[in-house]
Amino acid sequence: MFARLLGESFARNPRRKVLTAAALVIGMAVATATLTIALEVGDRLAREFRSLGANLLVTPESDTLPVEIGGVDYRPVDEGAYLNEADLGKLKAIFWRHNILGFTPFLDVPAYVSETGGATTLIGTWYRHEVPVPDGTKFETGASATHPWWKISGRWFRDGADECVIGSALAEKYPAALALGKAIHVAAGGVSEGGRSLVVTGIVSTGDAEDNAVLVPLSVAQEISGHPGKFRQVFVSALTKPADALAERGERAQTDMNIQLTPTEYDRWFCSPYISSIGFQISTVLPGTEVHAIRRVAETEGRILTRVGTLLWIVTLAALGAAALAVAATSATTVLERRAEIGVMKALGASNALVGGIFLAEQVLLAIAGGAIGFFVGAGLARFLGESVFGTPASPRLILFPVVLALAAIIAMIGSLVPLRRAAHFRPAVILRGE
Amino acid sequence: MFWRLVFQLLRGSRGRLAVAIIAIVSGAAVISALLNLDLGVQNKLTQEFRSLGANIVISPVSGAPAQISGAEVPSLMPEKDVVGVLQQLPSAQLAAAAPYLYIVARAQNIPVVVAGTWLDQSQKLDATWKVEGNWIASRDDNSRCLVGRNVARRLHLAVGNALELHYLDRSAHYSVAGIVDAGGTDDNQIFANLRAVQALANLPEQIGLAQVSVAGTAQVVADYAARLAAALPQYQVRPIRQVAEAEGALLGRIRLLIVSMVLLILILTALCVLGTMAALAMERRKDVGLMKSLGGSISRIVGIFLAEVGVLGAAGGLLGTILGAALSYWMGLRVFDTAIAPRWEVFPATIALMIVVTLTGALPLRMLGNVKPAEILRGE
Repeated sequence: MFARLLGESFARNPRRKVLTAAALVIGMAVATATLTIALEVGDRLAREFRSLGANLLVTPESDTLPVEIGGVDYRPVDEGAYLNEADLGKLKAIFWRHNILGFTPFLDVPAYVSETGGATTLIGTWYRHEVPVPDGTKFETGASATHPWWKISGRWFRDGADECVIGSALAEKYPAALALGKAIHVAAGGVSEGGRSLVVTGIVSTGDAEDNAVLVPLSVAQEISGHPGKFRQVFVSALTKPADALAERGERAQTDMNIQLTPTEYDRWFCSPYISSIGFQISTVLPGTEVHAIRRVAETEGRILTRVGTLLWIVTLAALGAAALAVAATSATTVLERRAEIGVMKALGASNALVGGIFLAEQVLLAIAGGAIGFFVGAGLARFLGESVFGTPASPRLILFPVVLALAAIIAMIGSLVPLRRAAHFRPAVILRGE
Repeated sequence: MFWRLVFQLLRGSRGRLAVAIIAIVSGAAVISALLNLDLGVQNKLTQEFRSLGANIVISPVSGAPAQISGAEVPSLMPEKDVVGVLQQLPSAQLAAAAPYLYIVARAQNIPVVVAGTWLDQSQKLDATWKVEGNWIASRDDNSRCLVGRNVARRLHLAVGNALELHYLDRSAHYSVAGIVDAGGTDDNQIFANLRAVQALANLPEQIGLAQVSVAGTAQVVADYAARLAAALPQYQVRPIRQVAEAEGALLGRIRLLIVSMVLLILILTALCVLGTMAALAMERRKDVGLMKSLGGSISRIVGIFLAEVGVLGAAGGLLGTILGAALSYWMGLRVFDTAIAPRWEVFPATIALMIVVTLTGALPLRMLGNVKPAEILRGE
């Protein structure tokens, strides 16, 4: 009987049902789309922020203080500690290895360039270099990953070749001697003997100290300085999660004996891609090093990510609110419009419970149908949004499906409950008389 | 008469109107809050990017400084040139600026980089520094210095300790005011006020570079850098690209994301209000039948209803906009720790939007022309 009444109700006024369902579909589609985006946006934006470049710097545990001005280390080549190039592959063997998006070693060598007749800094680095990883694979990385804002005219040096790239300020100063295709002679220290001849393949503009230096492949700098297989510092670009209270405690626990993490806290800290835990993991695979977060980058990134995250959740909340409003308003209107029907039912002896049950069941059925359609529409919408904002579509989250259905059902029920409660007080006679 | 009818109608059907008003008010609130938020976001996020610190560096053109073994200094420029130009340019966008003179002095016989600067500016220029101890608030304080974390460890210095710096045959005495945790190369340096370092190096009025922090979008920074470059043709003026390059793209994406979500919500809210209004209009058929049978012309009847709906839209819109402004104020506090001031242009925009939406919702009233009074009154 109940089912038949319900079926009747659906069959009799399909147009009105379509309207209600449409409101549900649109509302739930928006809810799904915003939820999908909000769930994914943290990861996406974190990746986007890697366009700021490296966020970790690894240096030898300092025996001498680096004498570094404007990004150039003026220590003589025989002073201070070096790191081993052969160990770099271990960076891709830490717990969060997939979050290490790139790393670039640097070796600064004070050098003499015959063509300019002056001392200059030689910066040995990688642009694109294949690093053997302990698990037997290769990982291609270099300044292309950690310093994406470097601009080259011409082309980068080939790895290990006798080629070099000139900083733009230096090239401007000696336009003739340091032009593309010219060969220059570079020797270590202040002497003109020995050294190597390098072909200029490009002019690089970095907006930083490298503009006044000569960039060469790392292996060339190592040979010129007489430190094969060594480098001074490595910049690491890692995908991280914004720091929170735990991240801060974890970081302080490394240096401060008074702070002890409980084992669960430690596990949670170690297994979260905080910049401090990734730094800690790097320092365990590269003993004898110090790992600093480049705070300028890391902190700005963390702060903006946290803010945008909160912002999006608020917007999502607003979307959910608007969706709820749309659904509830439609449900309420439906009940109000059908006062006459309610009057007839009650006049024929239906109890309030039966009337309420029929209406609620109808709303819930509609909500589930509308919510299901809305979920798929919303998933498509999220795909489109992800595509247009981040260039890759957001993948639908099936976990949201039951959530959206439940949400739709609950909202529809709440929306019809208030008018239904009022309907319980209807006196059939009054309604049937048409007042 | 007209308005009396309108208000009679409004008062007559409170139940249904309640739903419509709730829909309109909350719709307008959501829309105005999001519009406010969206307009405020770009501003706030740009400020966040500025917290990266200095974004323009002025330095002498000359190429790499010669190898400095102990006592030499890289190429220099006169302080008054740079400072003079910085004072001439409009100060509105200038957040902070400071000249720097780097020398390599010896402390406890260890070579260490000493940066002479205006320490009162460093709190703004180096916003990401964490200082244990105190910042130095005056650029004339020549007795105290800040020490980088690594220097402090290497030289076993703590806050309040004395520090003696030697440069050739001159020396200077400082007390350590604070230890800087900069998370960068600044950790390897000692920071003292410019005058003192110039005196120590016997380089009066000379500086090695100047750092400038300009507030505003990447475009504003680039413009400012261009103006500086024009005023200082003999020096190199370079915007720090690392941030500028990424900022535009990042901001664009965040903005696009929020705008698209706001747009979705806007459409949804408008549809919701539209639906409610349409339902309300259809309910009015019976009243129309009555009016028509009493001899009201159809244009007058429709006019009455449109006025009713318009009043609803305007009142609900106004209330909702005020609510929304409060909402966005709260959101600003929640997200950015500073309030988002309501934009005046949001008010008329939201109210107009609500009126348009409610009037559109009343479109089914057109069908009222076809209403036959007799049928309606008979109850069909």
